[in-house]
Amino acid sequence: MLGVIGAGTWLRYSKALLQPWKVGFSSLSAVDGRKHHLLDLQEIETVLTDVKADNVKVIPVPKHCDWADFMVLATGRSTWHVKNIAQALIYKAKQKQRGVERMMLPSVEGQAGGKWIVIDSGKVIVHALDEKARAYYNLEGLWTPGTIQNEREEDLQKALVKVRRKNNSKKPAQKNA
Amino acid sequence: MAAAFASRCSRVGRSLSGGLSNSSPGLFTSSHGMTCNNLFSQQQRTFIQMRTVLKVVDNSGAKKVMCIQALKGKKGARLGDTIIASVKEAHPNGKVKKGKVVYGVVVRAAMQKGRCDGSEVKFDDNAVVLVDKQGQPIGTRVFGPVPHELRQKKHVKILTLAGHIA
Repeated sequence: MLGVIGAGTWLRYSKALLQPWKVGFSSLSAVDGRKHHLLDLQEIETVLTDVKADNVKVIPVPKHCDWADFMVLATGRSTWHVKNIAQALIYKAKQKQRGVERMMLPSVEGQAGGKWIVIDSGKVIVHALDEKARAYYNLEGLWTPGTIQNEREEDLQKALVKVRRKNNSKKPAQKNA
Repeated sequence: MAAAFASRCSRVGRSLSGGLSNSSPGLFTSSHGMTCNNLFSQQQRTFIQMRTVLKVVDNSGAKKVMCIQALKGKKGARLGDTIIASVKEAHPNGKVKKGKVVYGVVVRAAMQKGRCDGSEVKFDDNAVVLVDKQGQPIGTRVFGPVPHELRQKKHVKILTLAGHIA
């Protein structure tokens, strides 16, 4: 019994050794008192000011969700602007860790499309959204404290209206952007 | 390696449940009863494969989808994987219609998944969140508990829309 459990644990560790990015992620989540993160909040605000992102908002995540400390929302004017915001944040992380033997970069999601890009740098998560995507998903209404039931009903009604608008307008995507 | 790891993990769970069922009846049980107890306790959940019906837990308008292909893995999909499914039941006036072929991310799976501290997470139902081809969620909210393993699978958007992180 104990030998089998020990073998399972050893296999799990050996699997973790084969993929070093998971080791980095687990060390990030394990060590809470770590002094420097991948990107600090001040650095993120400086980068977002430099690339002229619109309507930057920092939302402190409530304590019952312990998977992130801050959530930063930024709006880009077009798809390429959203991609440039993400590229600037990744460049800042690279510049900060220049000279380190093994560089650890934040994980980026949704970079191919460009409508909604998530930069996950441990305790701070940056969401770069297009204007329409930000109005559609309404992340501020979800993460700022408020009544949950009313928000759901309103969101469903808004979603229905948006479906009609999408069906009515038949313009190509490049003209809209 | 991943398949061996999954089989070893399920073997560990199987031996644990076997040990529990062996200790609970006592000494005065026949071999036939013990065999039945072992057979019942060794039942385990399987992968999400073709023709698995999953529940949709966002507000995209679909109620139930049927898996037609698992994008990663030969045996099937597990927690955090992406599947291709067809919509079997849908709300009227929803964003997706019945019969449409959609992509989905499994957010709750009845098959257990091991965590880094040795524990396992498994749910009572198989639930899915519909996404488009680029990986953006179709709905705007995700209901019910969502495990934080989706972060490692690079599905932070679904975690952001979820109201309760398990």
